[in-house]
Amino acid sequence: MKRVLLMLAILLLVCSVGVAEPVKLTLWHSMTQEAGQLMDAFVKEFNETLGREQGIEVEAVFQGKYSEAVTKLNSVLSSGQTDNLPDVMQLDATGKVSFASAEMAYPVDRALQEHPESDLSDLLAPALANWKMGGVQLGLPFATSTTVLYYNKSAFDALGLTVPGTLEGIASLAGSGLEKDGDGSRTVFACLPNTPTLANWLGQLGSNLVNRTNGTEGTASALECVDNGALLEFLKTWKALYESGVLENGEGSLDAFVAGKQLMMISSSSNVTSLLEKIGDSFELGVTFYPRVSEKAAEGATVNGSCLVIFDQGEARRNAAWTFVTWMTGPDVQATFARGTGYLPSNVKASDSSAWTELVSQYPQYEVGLRQVLQTPDTMHSVTVGPSIDFYYGIQNWVSDMLEQDLTPEEAAQGMAEDLGGMLEQYVRANPS
Amino acid sequence: MKNSNRLLRLLPDLVLVLMAAVVLFPVFYGLMGAFKTPQEFSSYPPTLFPESFRNLDNFRYVFDMTPMLRYYLNSLIVATLSSTVRMFLAVFAAYAFVFYRFPGHRFFFLLMLTTMMLPPDVLVIANYQTVSGMGLLDTYLGMCIVSFVGASQMFMLRQQFMTSPVALHDAAMLDGCGDFRFIFSVLLPTARPVLITLFLQSFLAQWNTYLWPLLVTNRNSMRTVQVGITMLTTIDATNYEVILAATFVTMLPTMVVYLILRKAVSHAMSSGALIS
Repeated sequence: MKRVLLMLAILLLVCSVGVAEPVKLTLWHSMTQEAGQLMDAFVKEFNETLGREQGIEVEAVFQGKYSEAVTKLNSVLSSGQTDNLPDVMQLDATGKVSFASAEMAYPVDRALQEHPESDLSDLLAPALANWKMGGVQLGLPFATSTTVLYYNKSAFDALGLTVPGTLEGIASLAGSGLEKDGDGSRTVFACLPNTPTLANWLGQLGSNLVNRTNGTEGTASALECVDNGALLEFLKTWKALYESGVLENGEGSLDAFVAGKQLMMISSSSNVTSLLEKIGDSFELGVTFYPRVSEKAAEGATVNGSCLVIFDQGEARRNAAWTFVTWMTGPDVQATFARGTGYLPSNVKASDSSAWTELVSQYPQYEVGLRQVLQTPDTMHSVTVGPSIDFYYGIQNWVSDMLEQDLTPEEAAQGMAEDLGGMLEQYVRANPS
Repeated sequence: MKNSNRLLRLLPDLVLVLMAAVVLFPVFYGLMGAFKTPQEFSSYPPTLFPESFRNLDNFRYVFDMTPMLRYYLNSLIVATLSSTVRMFLAVFAAYAFVFYRFPGHRFFFLLMLTTMMLPPDVLVIANYQTVSGMGLLDTYLGMCIVSFVGASQMFMLRQQFMTSPVALHDAAMLDGCGDFRFIFSVLLPTARPVLITLFLQSFLAQWNTYLWPLLVTNRNSMRTVQVGITMLTTIDATNYEVILAATFVTMLPTMVVYLILRKAVSHAMSSGALIS
């Protein structure tokens, strides 16, 4: 009898080892359309390969737009029911503050201490730096993009013109004939600066838009571009551009660009796939670097997009999450993701892969964003401010009023300093850290 | 003279037709847009009609990219359950406010009205804490429970029930009629138009709810149609022709529900007279 019981116990032990449950992880993401399908495909591939080897199973869950996913994150954090937090979450800039202040945040620095064998040297340095806050590396870049200038290359070629690299150069296009469209007219350039685009132009002039390194070191409380004259310099250039007649004071429209009624627009590098598809054979799409304010300004624009962050749900799960995140930011996934979506590969090795090189040889437009990111000075940071929506429209209103109501650049700069600076001060007062 | 009189008689009809056209044009334009290719949609000058109504790519894309049928089912369950329970509770609460004279009934009525003034967004985190604490995340009940009580429905029904003479209620009670029988045999038949309109309004509101179902569910299989539409937009660019196709697909069930209940509303209005 004892022998039978012993055999049964051994059998049960063997069975329990044989059917050991994998470590189950939840991934919250905000990817839609083809990017969403790719996200699901990556998770499936991980589960069937490395995940199976290491006993990890990931479930990907779409959580709405980035801002909505952050609302959900904040709800969970406020409720204190941290069991409902995911293991891995895709965050954009709107979620930085929430994650950084979460008790269960598992920043990359801690992961590197626990996994000294991990090597992040292949990750795109400016993209990696974009996800630092207060000196802490929050997550690893996953969907990386930047802002570039799209233009109607066929229209420029027809007149033997090349696209200028500076705002001053764009102003000189006045009278070039680009504005004529048969018997009618068309817009050469339409743009209305907002938080990220203004931060790019100020960054080129060596200034942050707001203090605390554009809000990456802590909550921004004041404008930083007023006393150093960078804002005034930009506003003077912008007004001159408007007065040249080339600039339309408005956000422009992707549809007008696709229809050939607007020749230049500023937009995310990740739009390249959608633009190529929509334009079809209508005209040749040109992509070039984000225009510089002037010849003396630096080249480049800040990195945008999203990163993957980890919440600490115990040792086994956080280790599994780290394995998954490093796999997702690896060269294979990043090359496939870049090819399928138009995002830049966040891993330098991905740009050596055949998937990427084939894509770039067929569509050189894809490469521009990556080259730009690599040339952007690491002093340029994307902006995080508390009153993000009011601040965004505040910039637009002041710049627009300067052009439409004939304010001087000095008056606009002064008004922005008081109005936008006031918003930041008020936010800090209402949300003391 | 005759002609000018005829014109005058036609004028109200013409104004109504014009107003209907203003209301219907966006729906019509949206439907046309759902059949356009991306190039057609971006063409200049814009066109009203698509080149071909055989282009069903946008509709196909909607169903390829999202499990829309599953989302349909979830939305249907959530909207029906929420609206039904809401109407039941509203009927009983309104009845109590009209026919019962309990201490503080005016105060409680006003208290109930104040809840209408709270913006729903303010309650999101508190509601999440409650629902999560009850273990109702990822359940239909969790998605519906915060919509079970609607102050505006209670208010509207109270106003409707107040049109019923108290003498009728007293006489019914004297004759041995209970509360439930009075509600279901006397009050509700006369209140059918209001009931159906309120149900319809509630159903549409629940069908269109987006943030709450997104917050309290963590599985794709529990998501609703509005989340499905979001899955078709991207942060940088939106394919409007696809969104229009998805919107049209999403609108269909609500249009059907409306058309069915619209008939019931007019029927109830013509047959629900109370003789006092």
